[in-house]
Formats: sequence, C-alpha cells, structure tokens
Amino acid sequence: MNRFKLKDIAFSYSPDVSIFEGLDLTFDSQTTAIVGQNGAGKTTLVKIMKGLLKPSKGTLSIDGESIADQTAAQLAKRVGLVFQNPNDQIFKTNVLEEVMFGPLNIGFSRFEAEKGAREALKKVGLESKVSDNPYDLSLSERKLIALASILAMDTEMVIFDEPTTGQDFAGKEKIKAIINELKAEGKLILCILHDMDFAADVFERTVVLNQGEVILDGQTRDVFPEKNVLEKAYLEQPYVTQIAQALGYNDSFIHESELVAFLNNKK
Amino acid sequence: MNTMTLYVERNSPIHRLDPLVKLLYVAASILLTYILPEPLYIGGILFVTFLLLIIGKVFRNSLPIVTLSMFLIFSLVIVQGFFHPDNVTELFAIGPLVFYEEGLYVALVLVMRVLVMVGAFSLLILTTATDEMVERLIKKGMSPKIGHVILSVLQLIPQMRATMVKITDAQRSRGVETEGDLLTRVKAFFPLIGPVVLNSLNETKERSIALEMRGFDSPMKKTFLNEAKQYPHNKLIAGLITGIVILGIVWRVFG
Amino acid sequence: MSVIEVENLKYRYPDTTTLVLDDLSFSVEKGECLGIVGENTAGKSTLCYALAGLVPHFYKGAYGGKVTVNGLVVREHEIATIVENIGLVFENPFSQMTGAKQTVYGEVAFGLENMGLPRKNMHTRIEKYLKLLDVYSVKDKNPFDLSGGQMQRVAIASVLAMEPEVLILDEPTSQLDPQGSKDVFKVIEQLTGKGMTIILVEHKMEQIAQYADRVLLLHEGKQIDLDTPEKIFSRLDLKEFGVRPPVVTSIAQALTIRYPDTQLYPVTIQEFKRLEEMK
Ligand SMILES: Nc1ncnc2c1ncn2[C@@H]1O[C@H](COP(=O)(O)OP(=O)(O)OP(=O)(O)O)[C@@H](O)[C@H]1O
Ligand SMILES: Nc1ncnc2c1ncn2[C@@H]1O[C@H](COP(=O)(O)OP(=O)(O)O)[C@@H](O)[C@H]1O
Ligand SMILES: [Mg+2]
Ligand SMILES: [Mg+2]
Repeated sequence: MNRFKLKDIAFSYSPDVSIFEGLDLTFDSQTTAIVGQNGAGKTTLVKIMKGLLKPSKGTLSIDGESIADQTAAQLAKRVGLVFQNPNDQIFKTNVLEEVMFGPLNIGFSRFEAEKGAREALKKVGLESKVSDNPYDLSLSERKLIALASILAMDTEMVIFDEPTTGQDFAGKEKIKAIINELKAEGKLILCILHDMDFAADVFERTVVLNQGEVILDGQTRDVFPEKNVLEKAYLEQPYVTQIAQALGYNDSFIHESELVAFLNNKK
Repeated sequence: MNTMTLYVERNSPIHRLDPLVKLLYVAASILLTYILPEPLYIGGILFVTFLLLIIGKVFRNSLPIVTLSMFLIFSLVIVQGFFHPDNVTELFAIGPLVFYEEGLYVALVLVMRVLVMVGAFSLLILTTATDEMVERLIKKGMSPKIGHVILSVLQLIPQMRATMVKITDAQRSRGVETEGDLLTRVKAFFPLIGPVVLNSLNETKERSIALEMRGFDSPMKKTFLNEAKQYPHNKLIAGLITGIVILGIVWRVFG
Repeated sequence: MSVIEVENLKYRYPDTTTLVLDDLSFSVEKGECLGIVGENTAGKSTLCYALAGLVPHFYKGAYGGKVTVNGLVVREHEIATIVENIGLVFENPFSQMTGAKQTVYGEVAFGLENMGLPRKNMHTRIEKYLKLLDVYSVKDKNPFDLSGGQMQRVAIASVLAMEPEVLILDEPTSQLDPQGSKDVFKVIEQLTGKGMTIILVEHKMEQIAQYADRVLLLHEGKQIDLDTPEKIFSRLDLKEFGVRPPVVTSIAQALTIRYPDTQLYPVTIQEFKRLEEMK
C-alpha cells in the first residue's frame, strides 16, 4: 500500500451536528501524527477509514482504487486499527487468544497465528502474560495487548488511536520502536496523539485537526513552530520547543538531543 | 448507539403516567391472567395491553422484545402440546407428532400469559425513563440498595445490546464478516454470545462500582435535580386498575 | 492530625502471587497535593483503590496494615460512608459513567442527589463544573456518546462537583488535549489552595513538578522515596525505577545546570531559566 486517500468526506452522528463536511486528506509512506482538540473528530476519522462508520458523502481509496464497496471485515486484511479504549477492543478471557483472534480470521494458520501473536506480545513486553485474563491486568497493560492484537495481523497500514495514553517512559519507547520498525517494513502509519513531545519526536508529518477541518498539515518540524495556530486548536508546543523559546531561541527544536547539543555548543 | 436504556422518548399520554401506576398495571394484568385463566379473558387483557402500547407509540419498539420471547413461547407450545399429562383428545397429527386438545389448551393459556407479561413489561420499560422510575421508587421510600439492584436489572438488556454493538465492531475490525446476507449475519451471531455475556457481567460490575463511588448506596436523604412531576389523574387510574382486579376476583369467586 | 494516614499497607489481588502494595507508610496533610509516580504496574492505581476503599471492599484478596482517611479507618467502613469524604477519578473514564442518567448534566447531578444537596444549589454547582471542564456544550448528550477526552472531562466534573475533602485523581488528563490538561491542573492548584487534599497519579512529570508538593515514588509496590519534586527528580537512579524526570530536568542534567548550594536540578522551565541567567 502506498497511498490512502479520503476525498470530500462528510459524516455526522446526528442530523443536527456534522462532524466532517468535505474533508480531503491523503496518507502516504510518511509516518503521520494527527493532533487536535478533544472532540475534533480524530477517532471518527479513523473509524471511517477502517470502514466501521460509513461517510454520508465522499470516497475512500487505496492506491487509487475505491474501497467503498468493501466491508470492514474485508478491509481488516489491509488496515489495522488499535482502539482508543482497550475495553472496546478486548473481548476474550485469555491474552494469547485475544491476540490470535485477528490473524486467525484473516487466514493465518493456527501455527502462524500463534507465532505472530507471541512475537507481537514480545514486542510490547508482555510475553510473560500470555495465559492471563486481560481483565486482571492494569489499563496500561490492556492497552499494549490491544496494540499487540493488531500488530499480529501484519496489515499494510496500521492506525493507532492515542497509543501512549497511560504509558510510562519505557512503554512509550517500546511504541516508538514498534512504529519505526513498521516504517522500515514499508507500512503506512497513522497515529492520533495528545502527547506533543511524542508526536514531535517520532513522526515525519503532523496533521492538526480542528472541528472537523485540517488547519495545519506539513512536516513535523514546520508544524510545531506555529504556536498561534496550535493554540487555536487547544494544543501546545512540545516541551523542548517551549524550553528553547523560554531561553530566547526561536529556532525549531523538536528533539531533546538537538537542544542539548545546541546549548552545549553555546557554552 | 450506546445508550444504557430501552426507553423510547415519545410524547404520549402513557409516557406522562406515573411510573408507579404503570408498575401497578404490570402487576394487575399478570395477576388477572391467574385470576381468570381462560383464553377469552386473557385475550381481553392482551388486547388492552397492545392497545396501550399503540397509544404509547411504542408498539413497533415492543416487537423485537415480543419476537424474542416467541422463541420461548414456541418451545412451550411444543412441550405442552406433546407431553401434557392430561392429554387424551387427539386433535391433529403432523407425521409422527400427535397434538392433543388438552395440551394445546394449556399451552395457549401459557402463551397468552407470557405475552401479557412481556407486553405489560414492555409498556413500562419503553415508556418510562429509567431514572424517573428509580427516582419515583426511592421517593416512595424504597431503600437505595434495592434501587441499586433494580437499576442494574433494568440496565441489563440495554447494556447487553451496547456490548453486542461494541464487540461486533471489535470483531469485524479484525476480519469477522458481519455484514451481508442473512446467513452471514447468523453465522456471525453465535461467536458473539459468549463474549457478550462475559463482557456484560464485567460491565455490570464496573457500573456497580461507579454507582457506589458516587454515593448511590448512601443512607443519607437524597435530593432530586428534577422537581416532582405532577401526574394527572393518578389516583383515578390507580383506583380503576385496582377496581378491575377486585372485580375480577369477585367474578371468579361468585361468577 | 493528617488527613490521610497509611501504615504498613500490604495488598495483593485474589489471583496474584506477589504483593501489589508492599508495606507502604506515609501521611498526607490537609491542603497538600501528593504526586504518585512509578512505572506501569508499579501499583499506583491499586493504591488509589486502597485509599478510596475499593480495596478491600470491592477487590478482595490479602490485605494488611491500616489506611485512615479523615479519621475513618477505611477497612472498617462501608464504601457508602467513605465516599462522603473521598472522591476518586478513575484511570478509565468509561468506568466512571454510572449509566443511571441519560444526559451529561444528569450524570453530574447524580452524585449531588445522593449526597442530598438542596436542589437550588445543584444547578449552580453543576454548571460551574461543566464550564470549568469545558463540557457545558455537550450537557444534553448521552454520556456514552462522547469522545474519549470529553468523557474524561465529564468524569472529572462529576467527582469534583461533589467537592470531597480528599480528591484522588488517577491519570486524570491521559486523554485530554494539552490545553484541557493545563486547565485541569490549574483547577487542582485552586482546590488545594482552598484546603482540599489531593492525590495525583501522573505520567506527565512536568505537571507533577509544577503542582505536587511532595512526590511518592513507587516501584513494584514498594515505597522507594517520598520527597519534594526537586529531590525526587534529581535522583540519578530514577530511570532504574522506570521514571524519567521532566524534560527540563534531563536537559539540565545533560548540561549540569543545578543549584550550587543543594546540587539539585531544576524541575520547571522557570527555575531552569533563572539558573541559566545566573551563570
Ligand atoms: N457514538 C457517538 N454518538 C454521538 N456523537 C458522538 C459519538 N462518538 C463521538 N461523538 C461526537 O463526535 C465528536 C467527535 O468525536 P471523536 O471521538 O471523533 O473525537 P476525538 O477527536 O477522537 O476526541 P478525543 O481526543 O477526545 O478522543 C465529538 O463531539 C463527540 O461528542
Ligand atoms: N483487577 C485486578 N486483578 C488482578 N490483578 C490486577 C488487577 N488490577 C491490576 N492488577 C495487577 O496489579 C499490578 C499493579 O497494577 P496497577 O495498580 O494498575 O498499576 P499502575 O497503576 O501503577 O500501572 C499489575 O501487575 C496488574 O497486573
Ligand atoms: Mg478519540
Ligand atoms: Mg494505573
């Protein structure tokens, strides 16, 4: 998969409030972060891409080919979505079975599915929990299980809805590594985030969504200096950028290491 | 749709009735099917119940509930039709299956009784907001602990429905085909049952914690956001229902 | 007397083998904001449950030691009594929704009804907190039809509206947009100013540094340290416990910018700037 395109999309949950009116967006091989205010429509957008919600207008296409007539189940072979709330995604009483569920449904053999599931669990660091009941685990662990269940399906595109929620530093590092690995495998990556530092640190492109519209879209390094636009969308600059600015440097710093190197040079 | 209630918001006289009166109607109609257990009378009660459902503008909403209970009803007919101990008069036969008049008669009464129960309960649940009902009961002096239980029971079906939607989404987003012809949908239904039941149990536990943590079981005197509603002709209707039940008893004893 | 006193608290869930809380002892004063930090599965949420009485009343398992809140021994009182003094905002806002009411407005009212607040005060309170958390515009929606962040705001509002003496927040801003989470912390600061005691679990160390008076560092259920944010975040072995200091602190460490007298590192941007300028 090289390109996922949304054209002129309209959607609403109830007739009186529309979420999108003619949204255009294209995702390609660049890893992309979507940021935006609560209720901006981020989750709705990815559910539309995944076929779980049907837009009232507009077209979705993969590599130029319309996917309008594909069911969510058919699309599942190509696009994976990790839900925002793991409780919406997890329904089995055993971790390994939960992670194997997707692969088995899209045609993996039992052997392949189990192998994939164990590998995915290893990547999120939960290989020791294979035989636990997901309900007896903490929320952060359940989030990682939800993530592993999608990884195990090995889809061409992977969408994450706020994967870093509730994760500690090590958890975020794991997710970062997973994203970079998926990128190296040539997959399309899209990720909704409220963690600006993580967005700035990990993603090549950043899209700012506000009230159903894209108000900023570009290379991450060019997006985060736009303080005023970000504030309008109830966002903030990453801490690194804020620190640099507080010290009076207006260059665009988005990685901690950059700022440290810069300050070291100054001395 | 993820709402935790079966309540259908409509503007109808039934909606404006006191929940307690509707509760009384449920009790009275079920009671009457025992006081006067003949198909003719039960048919009358059934007719009134369905009429009320139509007046309450929720007849269509009650159909799925009725259909679901038809399954139960159907098995009743079969069992009673075949195996009732008083079976002597052969009515008709389908192949090797013989139906007896006595059995079918008992089955008919049972079926109608179940229909009355389902209909009357649907009337109550579909036209009464859950919070209004629980509030009314608590105001009448029911202990909050019992209120807690009633609320949980009332939430059970809508909760299962919401869980079903949730798990369907979780499954189809991981490759289970749920859309398409009837066969596909039926095939998708069975693997849902286990997880839905288990998840609903978990969810009930979760809601129960949420209720408790917000002080629902607190022995303190509650206040209410909404002022007590005025229910028109409350006493009259309640009196009427009670009167009919008494009349039924009198009829039964002396008639 | 302290508002919260924890003495040798030990706990494990029914089917776990190791202690999830392992011999914790600390106390929290009135009007204090205590931050709790630690890696995933350190036991932070479980500690919140233990303070609010869900452990041991709801989650059974093995329990030892004593937790006292506002003079009530948690183990000896029903949850119904404990919640008159304590409010707990859950890690997952979905778990906070009671399902008892059909609207966001009613959801916030629910707790107030149960504590018997007179009706005339109810509307002002509800509106105040809905506006404070910027969910007034969705007040007529069903709580289950909200976005994740909106639901988290409603969860916070519904507990805050009860104005408990002790407020426990378990990662309350995990799904909020940056400005929303800033607003929540401002509210926390105001509330402690008014004498509310707050326990705050957070992974955003920048916020802990800014708003917590003291920080409890947990690791594998054990209390590693309890001290000021400066002392905790200046610990060089912090990463061993799966915790990373605020970005400013780690930059300051990389550049060895610290207070000359105490050798501690700055934990907020303001402090960092002051030290930079002093040089
Ligand atoms: N099931 C639903 N029914 C009705 N309205 C909904 C439903 N789900 C979401 N909404 C509304 O649609 C809007 C967009 O919601 P969405 O979940 O896409 O937001 P989001 O950008 O993901 O927000 P967050 O950052 O809080 O997760 C919100 O105003 C929300 O209240
Ligand atoms: N309901 C439960 N039943 C059994 N074990 C649990 C339950 N909830 C959490 N645990 C376990 O307790 C430990 C601590 O979890 P938790 O308190 O949620 O950690 P934290 O909030 O620090 O991430 C974890 O190992 C977790 O798997
Ligand atoms: Mg969302
Ligand atoms: Mg936790």
